[in-house]
Amino acid sequence: MNTTIEALPAVQRRDWKEFASAFLVRHIMVVVMLLIVAFFAYRSARFATPDNLTNILIAAAPFALIALGQTLVILTGGIDLSVGSVMAASAMAAAWTAKNAGDNPLLPLVAAVVTGLLAGSINGLIVSKFEVPPFITTLGMLTLASGIAYVIGNGAPINGLPASFGTFANTQILGLTLPVILMILAILVLAFVMKRTNYGLRVYAIGGNRLAAEIAGVRSRNILFSVYAISGVLAGLSGLMLASRVITGAPNLGQGYELDAIAAVVIGGASLMGGRGTIWGTAIGLLLIQTINNGLDLLLVPAYWQNVIKGVIIVAAVGVDVWAARRGSR
Amino acid sequence: MSTVQPDDRTTVVPMLECSGITMSFGGIPVLKGITFTLEPGTVTALAGENGAGKSTLMKIASGQYRPDNGQVQVRGQHLPSGSAQAAYSLGVAIVPQELASIPEMMVYENLFIGRELKNGFGILDRGAMIKAATGYLEEFGLETDPKTPMKALPVGVRQIIEIIKATHRGARVLLLDEPTSAIAEREVGRLAGIVRTLRDQGVAILFTTHKMEEIRAMADRVVVLRDGKLVSDTPLGEITDDGIVTAMIGRELDQLFPDRPDAGTSTVLEVENLVIAPGAAPISFTVRSGEILGLAGLVGAGRTELIECIYGIRKPVSGTVRVSGSTLKPGAPLSSIARNLAIVPEDRKGAGAVLSMSVLDNATLPRIAAFSKFGILSRRKRQGAIGTVMKSMRLKSNGLDQHLENLSGGNQQKVVFGRWLTGQVDALLLDEPTRGVDVGARSEIYRIITELSSAGMAVVMASSDMPEILSLSHRAFVMRELGVVGELDRAQLDSPTVQDTIFRLASGQNAAPVKDTTS
Repeated sequence: MNTTIEALPAVQRRDWKEFASAFLVRHIMVVVMLLIVAFFAYRSARFATPDNLTNILIAAAPFALIALGQTLVILTGGIDLSVGSVMAASAMAAAWTAKNAGDNPLLPLVAAVVTGLLAGSINGLIVSKFEVPPFITTLGMLTLASGIAYVIGNGAPINGLPASFGTFANTQILGLTLPVILMILAILVLAFVMKRTNYGLRVYAIGGNRLAAEIAGVRSRNILFSVYAISGVLAGLSGLMLASRVITGAPNLGQGYELDAIAAVVIGGASLMGGRGTIWGTAIGLLLIQTINNGLDLLLVPAYWQNVIKGVIIVAAVGVDVWAARRGSR
Repeated sequence: MSTVQPDDRTTVVPMLECSGITMSFGGIPVLKGITFTLEPGTVTALAGENGAGKSTLMKIASGQYRPDNGQVQVRGQHLPSGSAQAAYSLGVAIVPQELASIPEMMVYENLFIGRELKNGFGILDRGAMIKAATGYLEEFGLETDPKTPMKALPVGVRQIIEIIKATHRGARVLLLDEPTSAIAEREVGRLAGIVRTLRDQGVAILFTTHKMEEIRAMADRVVVLRDGKLVSDTPLGEITDDGIVTAMIGRELDQLFPDRPDAGTSTVLEVENLVIAPGAAPISFTVRSGEILGLAGLVGAGRTELIECIYGIRKPVSGTVRVSGSTLKPGAPLSSIARNLAIVPEDRKGAGAVLSMSVLDNATLPRIAAFSKFGILSRRKRQGAIGTVMKSMRLKSNGLDQHLENLSGGNQQKVVFGRWLTGQVDALLLDEPTRGVDVGARSEIYRIITELSSAGMAVVMASSDMPEILSLSHRAFVMRELGVVGELDRAQLDSPTVQDTIFRLASGQNAAPVKDTTS
């Protein structure tokens, strides 16, 4: 224990207990994650098999993209409630394109991305230029995009799509499906961007103190616009992933995903006030939620009880975060 | 007054007794063993520079913070550590600097919040509350209607209502944290009257202030803190103003300021017909290289607005600003930065720094292009340049990755200064550069300002701190009502009557000189 104290510079010498608890708090989610994995592996023989772990990743992919977008938005102190509906609208736009433009896997991709970009840009414009609170703006977009999704399908799912519509979700490279690869790439790229680039630093700066960032020369409106646009594009890709997996466009797809995405970000240690949080934290948060979903399924826990358990875990995670923040401020 | 009940002990039981209080934040000691007592029916001033530990001590005395060591006793009873509720029930009330009133609610509602009067059915008895509130207000000489919304009242009145709220609930110890920092001159007199009334009722009062006149006007004893230590505890009659100041800063005031080198000759900053708000008089001036221009004036005179308009945080109505001959784009900080203009804003926490980010990241922001290639940050470049600058600023931190929220005010301010110095700065705008900075760091910041100006920067410095203006500036403007109403050259700044001159200009009245309180 003494070595721990010696290792700390004298200016901020801490009690070793404090240091240990700070360390534990900082990595509490990794610890929780390992405990949960161990629990499921012990209780279910099927849990720790390569097939099942792949399943977890496949289920995590669409959810990961919107959680990553959400992380950027939350880092600026905002929130994007519209991602679930934007997924639906993008999936329907992609399905409609596949149905009407023939057997081409690229056109639906373009349709989904453009739809997501459009919705995200509108959010970004209203939040940055007209300074409408993000909660209100994206709540409006949630309703609007959901309406669009139903309008595209005339209130019904779009079925009977060409087989090429499934390319996006079902192509495998090195044993991993395209969405899983995309998820891993998105995590790596965004983690790099947020940690090592001008853009990332500016996002953190705006969320930490917008006025101070502006005085230091950050064009906060452009940055704000961009995070909503990015969140929209990722929601578009995510919607296409889900639709492509079942080769159907369903207007109610993605419903409620925004809440799971926010939960993943918050479990990952981000502050809803902005300025604090990491991409790696979000990655842990979403894997945690997906592992719980998967494990509870394997243990045949009824769906409604799964929600109860998930709810408890989310609030407990935020509770730990608040507790840690309060300790840190003392 | 301090009459003692016959059955009591013959010695007066102290109202509040702090013994051996120590406290540190994030490993940095803020209070180093404070012991003092408050007798009933006395008014004690708690003096000390920013960062001396006054607010922390008040928060401990009122049970908001738990001291690391030491204890607080209220009328002989032990105050359980860190319990605001217990302090309250023992009769200790604090009126914080940021008032705790609820602006949307009415005066009487605020007065009775948490202990509302109810009728027999458990329903709010508004009539009784209004009647009682009227009585309280009259007792303290306020003619305010208790049905006025709190937000409609001036800060000074709100503060008095907070004091009434505390005392009518039976507070016997009243702690006032900077009670005059936000209120007008006229209201200070009224506050002093109320403090005297309460003293005569036997309440023990402890207040903090920066202003010597207020210590003289209200207190009968002064306790001075310096760097977390109690350095003086003296009846007011036995200490001079100079004695108090010397105790506060720990040395003669003169040593605080470095020598002032002569200004250069070339014009660096040109402000032409700048109208900072609709209806304001246009402002024009130039600042030469190596020159420090002081901006004096009362709160709200327009000093901050002028600085913000020059830099571009605020868009002026009209007018132009040039730095080294090139014109700035109004309302565009980025263009100002590109033309080598730098700013240290008034509100460090609100506008100067991103507290949740590290020293390195904060110092990267204004010069981000210099530290990156194709948008990717180079850690090596950042650490080299920023490390060198922060070393020259004598920053005390656990390295460049420490977050600003864990640094002291003075060190935060060094980062807000130093982040500009990784590149060329031609003109530097300072708004209250030493607000919230403790005395040790204060003299270092003065040294930095003087060094920068002697290296050729043109400096504009707004300050409410008169010695700062008088000692650092080559020239000073006095501002009032968003315009410049007077200019003082160095000879005038050295004149013994300069404070009076500045006060008259700033207040716009040919007022009598401020009473000399040292005699």
